[in-house]
Amino acid sequence: MDFDFSDDQEQLRDAVRKWVDKGYTFERRRAAVAAGGFDRAAWNELAELGLTALTVPEAHDGMGQGAIDAMVVAEELGRGIVLEPIAQAFMASSVLSHYAPANVQSAWLPRVASGEALVVLAQQERKARYRLDVCEAKAAPAQDGYALTAIKSVVTAGDKADAFIVPAQLDGKTALFLVERTATGVTTQGYVTQDGSRAAEVKFTNAPAMLITTDGLAALELAVDTGIAATCAEAVGVMDKTVAITVEYMNQRKQFGVFIASFQALRHRVADMKMQLELARSMSYYASLKLGAPAAERRAAMARAKVQLGQSMRFVGQQAVQLHGGIGVTDEYIVSHYFKKLTQLEVAFGDTLHHLGEVSARMQDTAGVFA
Amino acid sequence: MDLAFTPEEQAFREEIRAWVQANLPKEISHKVHNALRLTRDDLQGWAKILGKKGWLGFGWPKEFGGPGWTAVQKHLFEEECALAGAPRIVPFGPVMVAPVIMAFGNAEQQKRFLPGIASGEVWWSQGYSEPGSGSDLASVKTRAERVGDKYIVNGQKTWTTLGQHGDWMFNLVRTSTEGKPQTGISFLLLDMKSKGVTVRPIKLLDGECEVNEVFFDNVEVPAENLIGEENKGWTYAKHLLSHERTNIADVNRSKRELERLKRIAKTEGVWDDQRFRDQIALLEVDIVALEMLVLRVLSAEKSGKNSLDIAGLLKIKGSEIQQRYAELMMLAAGPFAMPFIEEAMEAGWQGNFPGGVTANAPLASTYFNLRKTTIYGGSNEVQRNIVAQTVLG
Repeated sequence: MDFDFSDDQEQLRDAVRKWVDKGYTFERRRAAVAAGGFDRAAWNELAELGLTALTVPEAHDGMGQGAIDAMVVAEELGRGIVLEPIAQAFMASSVLSHYAPANVQSAWLPRVASGEALVVLAQQERKARYRLDVCEAKAAPAQDGYALTAIKSVVTAGDKADAFIVPAQLDGKTALFLVERTATGVTTQGYVTQDGSRAAEVKFTNAPAMLITTDGLAALELAVDTGIAATCAEAVGVMDKTVAITVEYMNQRKQFGVFIASFQALRHRVADMKMQLELARSMSYYASLKLGAPAAERRAAMARAKVQLGQSMRFVGQQAVQLHGGIGVTDEYIVSHYFKKLTQLEVAFGDTLHHLGEVSARMQDTAGVFA
Repeated sequence: MDLAFTPEEQAFREEIRAWVQANLPKEISHKVHNALRLTRDDLQGWAKILGKKGWLGFGWPKEFGGPGWTAVQKHLFEEECALAGAPRIVPFGPVMVAPVIMAFGNAEQQKRFLPGIASGEVWWSQGYSEPGSGSDLASVKTRAERVGDKYIVNGQKTWTTLGQHGDWMFNLVRTSTEGKPQTGISFLLLDMKSKGVTVRPIKLLDGECEVNEVFFDNVEVPAENLIGEENKGWTYAKHLLSHERTNIADVNRSKRELERLKRIAKTEGVWDDQRFRDQIALLEVDIVALEMLVLRVLSAEKSGKNSLDIAGLLKIKGSEIQQRYAELMMLAAGPFAMPFIEEAMEAGWQGNFPGGVTANAPLASTYFNLRKTTIYGGSNEVQRNIVAQTVLG
């Protein structure tokens, strides 16, 4: 039982933090949002830092690092509310390296690692809401592989990505496919989401697809759980900075002739924010530490973590705006952007109520970190 | 980073588990598992069993006859005791006053007082709160006047937990009214059988007398019972409060009570009521999150690499969780938690409890009793002040 970071992990944290502080200013982010919510140049800089390669196996030109390293990176990018979706690189790396046949691995993993290929999960369907076992997309054998037909919504950076990992029905069960964005039959309609990042509606009409695995649901669950762990870590970074911004503001804003940090009603609110932050940080560690556990244990842990993180994000985000007063609801001041990021992350990969249902359904007689 | 305990720590856990299994009397664990009322003999009986093994002072260093366990070992010991249904160790002797005597008492005092604490023979009480000094502890007024080789003590303490059983009492007393309130306080040990000590139990909302008023009327205390220097008592008291940081969360006991809540929910038919069950699920998440927080503190203590100054958070969350499980247990029983039949809260009651499930008898009482948790040990509002201070300055 040890929650210290290794020296390498501390160095990784420093490197990412330095890039965020110097290379990813609020002004740059604002320009990226105005330009559509995804900045390929910024993505390439993340790749240069080695972040897209972080969890890719060394055999495929990656760095072969683990869940805790990924967590450190996601936290630091969260601190800067970075728009570019590093979680997708972790997810693609995880699914491809665990489930894809050798030829798909060697064709795609090195490109994921280098950042040359942005491979994103295209999973959301209208009727599925947060359920992973609801999938109407269909695939059928075709010349040189498969043909896939589907409508997938809110696909991260969907019109900027290079390829999609897509669940679809094959012979009555969910299988997972890889489809290139530029393939025939693929159309995208991109837009900016509530936190300023980019997503797209993606339509596949008999699009040529490569089979990743017929064990699609299990692979999809691994992808989503990898996404949940990264989201939790990102949220911790966002919240950590949100609290810091709020504290700084409260110590320079004066009303009634004194700093508002002196008012007990507000101080107690900050104590409650700190509570939510530390519970969230604890459960983010828990999520990343459980990412390698057997599927049932891993799924249960992610649900618990997301319930805590969801509650924490809601509270910290809302209270940060409230404690700022009027300036908190402006677009010009930074805190509203942190609030919006937290709002979106609560929903990502399943909201609090969804995951509470998961925890509820999975409860055993005993419970705890080790049960 | 690693979630698992080391093989040595696992082996330690197994050793503790086997010993507790073999030595914890079944009639005591039965009471604890069912929230039935514990007597002085139950509490002291278990204390003496631990004392004989040398584990009552489980947090003590080897030089004072303790086992010299690490923070993780202490945590595992407490967890195994809690899960097995052991009563909570009454902390005033082994957990609270002993570390002060070790740190600030002289050799004579250590020799005189520590053995009785370690064995569980001597029951200690805490003399901190007064009618006018609750959260504002530095305002204590109980006077100790030095006359020759004695102190003459006059005043009143209150909320003295289990003081009706007390043999000895450690007290914050005022020895000076000069300077800041904190600077005139001394730490004085007092024999409760002394002439002029009156203990009056206070009946609480759960029907029990868990706390007392203690009156001092010209009580003579030998000056050799003063710990450390006169007027330095506040420093010693703060040391005491900072001692033992993780057990304040009481997460192990909450894990045990979560299991009991689930049993009650099944018996009462609300386990399959999604609205009710989701409330248990929320509590389960709270408990796992608190346990992770505790483990983080333990890890930080173990490595010494980073300090986690979050004792206030542990107290707030731990106490809220205790209140919540008691509340949910009572709500699970619904109308059958209404009958308040005190005899049914004792072990061995053979009567017919309304509705037929005697396990429901103590639920309201426990719920009432645990309202104390957000008040004692520094109210949760005071804890929020402390947390805010660390965050906001």
